[in-house]
Amino acid sequence: MKRFLHGRNLLFVGVGSVAAVIAVVLILVSVLGSSSAESTSPAPTTTAATGSNGTTGSAAPAAPPTVPGAAGTAALFRGIPQQLNQLGNPNAKVTMIEFADPQCPYCRQFALDALPTIVKEYVRTGKVKLVLFAINILGPNSDNGLRAMYAAGIQGKLWNVASLLYKNQGAENSGWITDDLLRRIGNSIPGLDTEKMLADRFSPEVDSALAASSQQASNARISETPTFFAGRPGGTFRQIPVSSLTPKAFRPTLDSLVK
Amino acid sequence: MTDGRLRVAIGVLALAGAAVSAYLVYSRYSGTRLVCTTGGCETVQHSRYAKAAGVPVAVLGLVAYFAVFATALSARVEAAAIGAAIVFGGLAFGIYLIIIQVAVIDAICQWCLASDVILALLALVSAERLRRLAARPQDASGRPPMAAPG
Repeated sequence: MKRFLHGRNLLFVGVGSVAAVIAVVLILVSVLGSSSAESTSPAPTTTAATGSNGTTGSAAPAAPPTVPGAAGTAALFRGIPQQLNQLGNPNAKVTMIEFADPQCPYCRQFALDALPTIVKEYVRTGKVKLVLFAINILGPNSDNGLRAMYAAGIQGKLWNVASLLYKNQGAENSGWITDDLLRRIGNSIPGLDTEKMLADRFSPEVDSALAASSQQASNARISETPTFFAGRPGGTFRQIPVSSLTPKAFRPTLDSLVK
Repeated sequence: MTDGRLRVAIGVLALAGAAVSAYLVYSRYSGTRLVCTTGGCETVQHSRYAKAAGVPVAVLGLVAYFAVFATALSARVEAAAIGAAIVFGGLAFGIYLIIIQVAVIDAICQWCLASDVILALLALVSAERLRRLAARPQDASGRPPMAAPG
C-alpha cells in the first residue's frame, strides 16, 4: 500500500478522491434539498411506489408526493379569488376567456410563457378576470384531466390543477393523465382536498360544467386550442389575434379594453 | 497529441459547456422559453432537482466550466489535476441527474444531455492530459522540463 501511494499513483488517487468528494457533496445537497422541498408540502395520501407516469415499477424510487412546479403554481395563484373556472376579481372590467385542452402542447406553452405575466399584470391588479373553458379536443385521455380540473374548481382550485397538468404534461393520448398523477397534483396544492376532488370528478356539478364548456365551445365554433376571447361583461367578445403565446401578444387587446 | 493540444481541446470543450450553461442560466432568469426538441426541458428546469442548496445547477455548471477553462491555461500538473477532479466530479453528478431525469422527473432536458456529453469528452481529454503529465519528470516549478535546443 505504501509503495502504491507515491508519485504518479498518489496523483491519480488524489484526483479521484477530490472528484468523489465533489460528486458526493453535490448529490447529497441535491437529495437533501429535494427532500426538504417535499417535506414542506402536504403529506401524500398514497405510499405506492409509482413512476410519475403512474406506472408501478420496482426499479423506480418512491414517487414524490408532489409534482414538479408545485411551488411556482401555488405562488402564482396565491390570494387570487377563484370560482369554478373563473380567476380574479368577479367585478373586473374585462373578461378574458381561454378554450383549452389539458393535453394540448400550445395550451401548455401559454400556461408557462404568457399566463404568469397576465396574472401578475392584469388579474392580480383586478383589471381582468380569466375564464377557462376546458374542453376535450384531442382525445379520450383529456377527459380525466377535464373532470379533475372542474372537480378542483368546486373547491376554487381549477387554475392550480390546470397549471400543474401543463407543467407535467405528457405525450398526447399516451395515457399520462392517470389517477396517480392527479392525486400527486392534488397533494401539491395547498388547501385542496385531493380525495374530494377525485370523487367529485363524476358528480352532477362536474357533468354540468363540462356540458356548459362544451356548449360554449360549440357556440364559439372552436376547432383548435388554445383559442382566446376578450371583452367587457355585457359587451361583445372578440377573438384575440395572437401571433405568439407570449405576454406581448395579449397586451394590445387587454390594454385597449382596460382603458 | 501534445500537452498544448490537449489544453486547447479542454479549453474549447469548457467554453462549449459554459455556453450551454449560460443559455440555461439566461433562460431561467429572463423567463424565456428554452428551445427544446425533447419536450421536457421546462419540466426538468422547474423541478426541485434543478437547484442544489438554492443555487441553480446551471449556475454551478457555468462556474465549473470556467474553472476548468482556467486550468487549461496553465501547463502545471497541479492545474491538470484540479481540472480533472472538477470534471470527474461534475460527470458523476451529471450521471446522477440523468438517472433523476429518467426515473423521477420522467422528462429529458436536451441541454442537460449536451452538457453531459461535453463533460464526458472533457473527462477523456483530462484523463489523457493527467496521464501524460504524471508520466513526465517535473522540475521544481511543477512544469515539465523543456526539450534541449538543437
